[in-house]
Amino acid sequence: MRATRPLALAVAGTLALSACGGGESVDTGGGGGGGGDNTLVAAVSAQPDQLDPHVTTAYASFQVLENVYDTLVVPDPEDLTMQPSLATEWKTSDDGLEWRFTLRDGVTFHDGSEFDSADVVYSYNRIIDEELSNSFRFQNVESVAADGPDTVVLTLSQPTPNLLERIGSFKGMAILPEGAADDLDLTTEANGTGPFRLESSDASSTVLTAYEDYWGGAPSVDGVEFRYITEPAAALTALQNGEVQWTDNVPPQQIESLGDDDSVELETTPSVDYWYLSMNYARPPFDNRDVRRAISLAVDREAVAEAAWFGAAQANQTAIPEDSFFYYDYAPFDRDVDQARQLLQQAGVTTPLTMGLMVTDEYPETVTAAQVIASQLEEIGVTVEIETLDFATWLDRQGAGDFDAFYLGWLGNLDPAAYYQEQHQTGGPNNYQGYSNPQVDQLLQQGATEPEDEARKAIYDQAAQLIVDDVSYLYLYNPDVVQAWAPGLSGYQIRADKAINFENVELP
Amino acid sequence: MTAEVGAPVSLRPATPRWRETLGLLAHNPTAAVSALLLLALVLVAIFDETLAPQGPNEVDVAARLESPSGAHPFGTDDLGRDILSRVVLGTGVSLRVGFLAVGIALLIGTGIGLLAGFYGRWIDDALMRLMDMLFAFPAVLLAIAVLAVRGTGWGNTALAIGIVYIPVFARVTRASVLGVREEVYVRASRSVGASDWRLLTRHVLPNAAPPIIVQTSISLAFAVLAEAALSFLGLGTQPPDPSWGLMLAEGRGFIDLAWWLAFFPGMAIFLTVLCFNLLGDGLRDVLDPKQRTLMAGGGR
Repeated sequence: MRATRPLALAVAGTLALSACGGGESVDTGGGGGGGGDNTLVAAVSAQPDQLDPHVTTAYASFQVLENVYDTLVVPDPEDLTMQPSLATEWKTSDDGLEWRFTLRDGVTFHDGSEFDSADVVYSYNRIIDEELSNSFRFQNVESVAADGPDTVVLTLSQPTPNLLERIGSFKGMAILPEGAADDLDLTTEANGTGPFRLESSDASSTVLTAYEDYWGGAPSVDGVEFRYITEPAAALTALQNGEVQWTDNVPPQQIESLGDDDSVELETTPSVDYWYLSMNYARPPFDNRDVRRAISLAVDREAVAEAAWFGAAQANQTAIPEDSFFYYDYAPFDRDVDQARQLLQQAGVTTPLTMGLMVTDEYPETVTAAQVIASQLEEIGVTVEIETLDFATWLDRQGAGDFDAFYLGWLGNLDPAAYYQEQHQTGGPNNYQGYSNPQVDQLLQQGATEPEDEARKAIYDQAAQLIVDDVSYLYLYNPDVVQAWAPGLSGYQIRADKAINFENVELP
Repeated sequence: MTAEVGAPVSLRPATPRWRETLGLLAHNPTAAVSALLLLALVLVAIFDETLAPQGPNEVDVAARLESPSGAHPFGTDDLGRDILSRVVLGTGVSLRVGFLAVGIALLIGTGIGLLAGFYGRWIDDALMRLMDMLFAFPAVLLAIAVLAVRGTGWGNTALAIGIVYIPVFARVTRASVLGVREEVYVRASRSVGASDWRLLTRHVLPNAAPPIIVQTSISLAFAVLAEAALSFLGLGTQPPDPSWGLMLAEGRGFIDLAWWLAFFPGMAIFLTVLCFNLLGDGLRDVLDPKQRTLMAGGGR
C-alpha cells in the first residue's frame, strides 16, 4: 500500500508497478531498427528525485524504475494479485513461518552478470539493515537466507498472509545485484533485471534503452524517453501534436471533452489511491472526538471530489475503493450542518474555531479541495486557514506534528493492511495524527496474521468502522487513474495501482 | 507691480506648486484619465465588500465554470465562485501590497539616497555599493528569497517587493540630490547657518522630489505586477484569498475551456499597471521644469 512516507506517498506508494508481469514476455521485436523512430516518448509531470529504488518514495522515480528493475513477485495488471516474476514459485511451511522462493533461471542484470539468490539476500538485507523507507515491509521477517543459488528462504516471526504484497507490490522492493550500493551510485545509476536499462537522466528527461537479453524477451520498442512536462495543458498539447506518445498528466477538467477527440486515446480506471484529511490529536480541540465528527459531518465529499477531479473520483468514507474485494460499504457521515453544529456545541467549543489546514502545491488537488472544504466548514463556524507549502516543508511539519490538520493521499495500496496499519495503529510509523484505539490495534494485529481472505475482510471491516467513527482519518474520495496516449499505440495497459510498464508497448 | 517701498514682497508663487501641478496634470488627458481610473480603483478597494455581489470565497461546485451572464457578469471559476466578486476583492489586495511595498521602498530608498547624495564621500560609497549589491540580484529572485525566509502572506509579499525597489529609489534620489545640493539657494542657506536637517528637509528634498514622485507612480505599477507574479508562483497571497495573480494562475489550466477565469483578473492587472505607468509619464512631463514652463503657457 502505501508508499512510504506519507506524502510522497501518496505518490510513491503507488508505484509499484509491475513490471514485468505477468505475462511473460512478449516480445520482440519489433523493432529493430531504427533508432529514434521506435522510441516511445512519455510525458510525465515530474523528474525523479533519485533512482535508488530502496530509498526514493517519489512516484516520478517509480514510473521510471518500474521499467528497469524487477521484484520477486509482481501484481497482475488486471486484478493486482501477486504473480511470479523473478521468483517462479514459492512454498509456505505449515506454520506459515517459512517461505521458500524458487528463483527464475537465465535472468541477467543489465551489466551481463547472472541473477541468483545472493542478490535477493543482499537486496532485502540492505533494506532491513539500513532501515530504508520500506523496512517496515519486513517487520515480521527474521532472516533472509539463500539455500543454493536458486532458492531464497524468508523466516518470519509470525504468519504474514500478505507477505507477497509486501515484497512485490512496487519496485521499492527491487532486486539489485549483490554489492550494487558499493559499486554504483544508485541515486543516478541503475543495474536491474528489467526490460529497459537506464541510459541517462537529466533535468529534462530520463532515457531508457531496451535490454535485449531481458528474461521476458526484449521489449518491442527500442527505448523509452520520460520527458518532464509539469503543466498538464502543455503535456496534453504535446500529445495532440505527436511530440509525445503517452502521458499521465491529463488535466481532469479536460477528461470529458477528450472523449470525442480523435487525436488522443483516453482511458480511466478506478485507482487504489485515497485522499483524506487528518487532524492532530495532540492539538485541542481536535483531540475531541465530537469535534472531529462535527467536521466530518460538515464536509460534502461529493463536492470535494467533483471540485478536485471533475467527476473522475468517487466519494468514499472509508479508504478502500469500491472495486476491491476488501471494500466496506460504510458511510455514516452524510452532510448534516445542524448536527455538526450541535456536536461542536456539545464539545464546548466556542466558534469561530480556527483550523490550520496544510496542503502542498506539489499536489494541486489538495489546494483546490482545501478551498471547498474551507467554505463548507465555514458554515459550522470553523474557519479554515489554508497553508500552501512546498512538499519538503510540508513533510517536515507533518513529521514534527506541527499542524492542526493536513490533506493528502496514499497511493498504490493493494492490501488492507497497507490501507490501515501504518496509519492507525498506536505509534504506527505513519500515524502522524496520533490516533490510539486499543481495539483497532488488536484488530489490525489480527488482520495481519489471518490467512483466510473472508475472515480478514471481516476483521478489517470492523477496524475500518472504528477508524471512520473516530475520524482518525476523514476519508474523502478515490480518484481514477487517467492516462492518454496516441491512437494506435498498443500493448499498454492502464492499471489501478498506477504502475506504468512499457515492456510490451508498440508504437502506432 | 505697485508695491510700496519697504513693503515685504512674497517670493513664493501665487499658487502653491502642488496645486499648479494638479492643474497641469488635469490638462494632460491621458494622465488625467489614468488618475481618475486609479481613484476609482482605490474606491473599489475601500468599498469592496459592499460592491462585490457575493462573498469571494463562496463555493458552489454545481455552478462551476459558468460563462459570463447576468447573475455572474464575469462568470464563475472552477469552484463556482463569482469572478466579479473575486476581482473586486482582489483590488484591495493588489493596491494594499502595491502601496505598502512602494511605501517601504520610498521611505528607506529615499532616505539612503538623500544621505548618499548630500554627504557624498565615504557615506555615498558605502551606501551606494550596498545598493549596487541589492540591485545586482534579479528582482523576482530576491523577492522569492525574502519570501522563502519570511514565509508567504500579503505583508511579507509587500516587504519583499519593497526591499527589491529600495535601490531604485536610492539611486533616483541620489542623482537628483547631487544636482540640487550645489544650487545657490542651498549654499546660501548653508552660509547663514542652517542645519543639515533643515537643508535636507526644506531645500534639498523638495527640489529633488519630482523624479522621485515619477518613480513612485511607475514603481506602483511594477509592485502590482510583482504581487501578481509572486501570487502566480504561489508565493504571494494564499488561496482562497482573491489575488489577481493567483486567479490568473488558477485560470491558466482552464484557458481553452473557460477563458473568463484568466481574462478578467488579467485585464484588471493590465489596466492598473497601465494607469500607473501613464500617470507616471504624465507626472514626468508635468514636473519637468522645462516642459512645465512650456505647458503653463510659456513666458514666466
